[in-house]
Amino acid sequence: MKIVESAELAQFRWECRDWLADNVPTNRPDDGEAMRDFDLAWQAKQHEGGWAGINWPTEYGGRGASVLEQLIWHEEYALAGGPPSGCMFVALSHAGPTLIVSGNDEQKSRYLPTILNGTENWCQGFSEPGAGSDLPGLKCKGEIDGDDLVINGTKIWTTYAQHARWQELLVRTDPDETRHRGLTWIIGDMQAPGLEVRPIKTMAGLEHFAQCFYDDVRIPLKNVVGEVNQGWKTAMTTLGFERGTGTVAHQIELATRVDRVIEAVKEAPGGADDAQLEMLAVLKSEVMALRSLTAASISRGMHETVPGAGGNIVALYFGELTRRVNAAAFDLLGPHSLERAGYNYPAHFLECFKWAIGGGTSEIRRNTIGERVLGLPKGPKAV
Amino acid sequence: MIVDLIPDEDQSAIEDTIVSFLSDMLPVERLREDKAHGGAAESEVWSQLCELGLFGLGLPEDQGGLGLGLPEEALVARALGRHLVSPGVLAQLCAPHLATDEATRDALISGETRAAFGIADGYVLDGEGAEWVVVFGPGGASLRARSDLSLSATDGGLDNTVTFERIEGGAGNAQPALRIEVLVAAYLTGIAQATTDMAVEYAKQREQFGQPIGAFQAIKHSCADMATRASAADTQTLFAATVFGAGMDDAVEAAAARTLAKRAALENAKANIQTHGGMGFTNECDAHLFLKRAMVMDMLGSDARARREALTAS
Repeated sequence: MKIVESAELAQFRWECRDWLADNVPTNRPDDGEAMRDFDLAWQAKQHEGGWAGINWPTEYGGRGASVLEQLIWHEEYALAGGPPSGCMFVALSHAGPTLIVSGNDEQKSRYLPTILNGTENWCQGFSEPGAGSDLPGLKCKGEIDGDDLVINGTKIWTTYAQHARWQELLVRTDPDETRHRGLTWIIGDMQAPGLEVRPIKTMAGLEHFAQCFYDDVRIPLKNVVGEVNQGWKTAMTTLGFERGTGTVAHQIELATRVDRVIEAVKEAPGGADDAQLEMLAVLKSEVMALRSLTAASISRGMHETVPGAGGNIVALYFGELTRRVNAAAFDLLGPHSLERAGYNYPAHFLECFKWAIGGGTSEIRRNTIGERVLGLPKGPKAV
Repeated sequence: MIVDLIPDEDQSAIEDTIVSFLSDMLPVERLREDKAHGGAAESEVWSQLCELGLFGLGLPEDQGGLGLGLPEEALVARALGRHLVSPGVLAQLCAPHLATDEATRDALISGETRAAFGIADGYVLDGEGAEWVVVFGPGGASLRARSDLSLSATDGGLDNTVTFERIEGGAGNAQPALRIEVLVAAYLTGIAQATTDMAVEYAKQREQFGQPIGAFQAIKHSCADMATRASAADTQTLFAATVFGAGMDDAVEAAAARTLAKRAALENAKANIQTHGGMGFTNECDAHLFLKRAMVMDMLGSDARARREALTAS
């Protein structure tokens, strides 16, 4: 446990800060093609500036930043008010890293550069109506026919599917196998005939995800990443890429939101009573702990090669805390918080529900913490 | 500020030394016997405890210390909490920092003279054998000679493993003591961790409906929440200790650590009792000891009002 500072890191921070101050775009559209265009243009700009793929190795065109440099970049990014990576998120944080670890040379040279320069974006294709928390139960089928894999079935909760060019698609290619076995990870073409994408409106009123329907969609077998029937292994290799820096921006944004609510409550006529201040003090403590937990994950990332299941503790804490923070405005600020004008508490509140559902519900995370961190037995058996 | 929150080799060695000493010499089970109460068990092993050299850990070498810092002291305080070591031992770790003359400081570092914790207009905890009292309240801490305090005996309090002597007044010239605030948080974090471990262990062993109760989500999720609370409190406490004195707002960092450590200790201690069911309600199960000690330790130092003010000031 020690403070880590160096002249090089300080220099790197100033470099980030200067570039971001001159280049961060504002007024990201809420949804639609305008949002996609905005996200891709911002990616292109970061590419020109030499910041694209901050955690990608330089041999694949990334910045190749160390874990601490990544942390500094994300801190400065959040402090500069940088927009979410949005439509580029899956490509940068998941599909690209998967190709880097498991793709062949041809796949790497075809798909990685267009991610970094912001010309092509990706979506994920894992969850299905019958396979959400129970992902290994997925059924969407892939059958080998000549040089193609023929896809039939459906994927759901596909974030920004309607705006994506490619898809990391996990399908069942061995019908005799169950669970994690017999799956294949393939690069899906979102422009392929037979694929229909139906946007789904969220409770926040935005069309940020979709359901995809595959009716004899043909994908060339050369798009398989890793080996046929070894898709689970391909999907899991990406985990080693995550070093805890990805959530730094969310954590800083949440801390800023708590400070904003504290300010608003104190400025309200009559000020704040003790019960209100206590609620705020606890939230403030919790966002500080979230910062410390994030710092600890990053510290572990500097010492370990593959992150353990402990990341679920940070994710659970963030998911639950973000809900409490966003709900607090309504408890503390009265009826004015209901209006969308100004800071738009309703939008933040409605949107934040996703953090305790997507990527693993809080309940699934508690199971994982119980079983894989604490070593409690799986179960229960039927009684 | 960028920090590495993983203990380095030397820090791990310090922690391993104290943990193995406490597991051997002062296991929590000792408190099942009345004769171990009131710091008596600690007095029995006092000379060996002093030989570990803990009490000068965070003092500069020219003051007779080891020249380490608050992170190392926090690891020790956490271990003391895990083993429900007498509050007096934590006071001994804090007292040399408050000593104003060299002779007093040296005697406290060596353990030749002993310290106890006290709360102004409240109680001295496990004061027997102590010459000094670290009186620690919302206004800060002062080191008082025990003989200068107006004390009277009591029949005991909520935690029957600790002795309580009533103090009239006693605040003295209290100085801000954020370092001690962080160490109390670390002690409470130790309680939050120990109760998590105890609940998880029991959930693996205890069978009902033909399987370990830890297989049921009601128990599994409670354990996961305990681990998460303990982790958040612990990580914030170690963060506060690591950045202490380095230009961040120590008062806010300490207040956050203490707020979370208090909640984690109390909530986990209660959840541990609940996980143990009927056994948890008995005197022979150690679960109640952690709850009682957490409630007593939380009376030291800052109160909720002081923490609210620090955390919501902007």
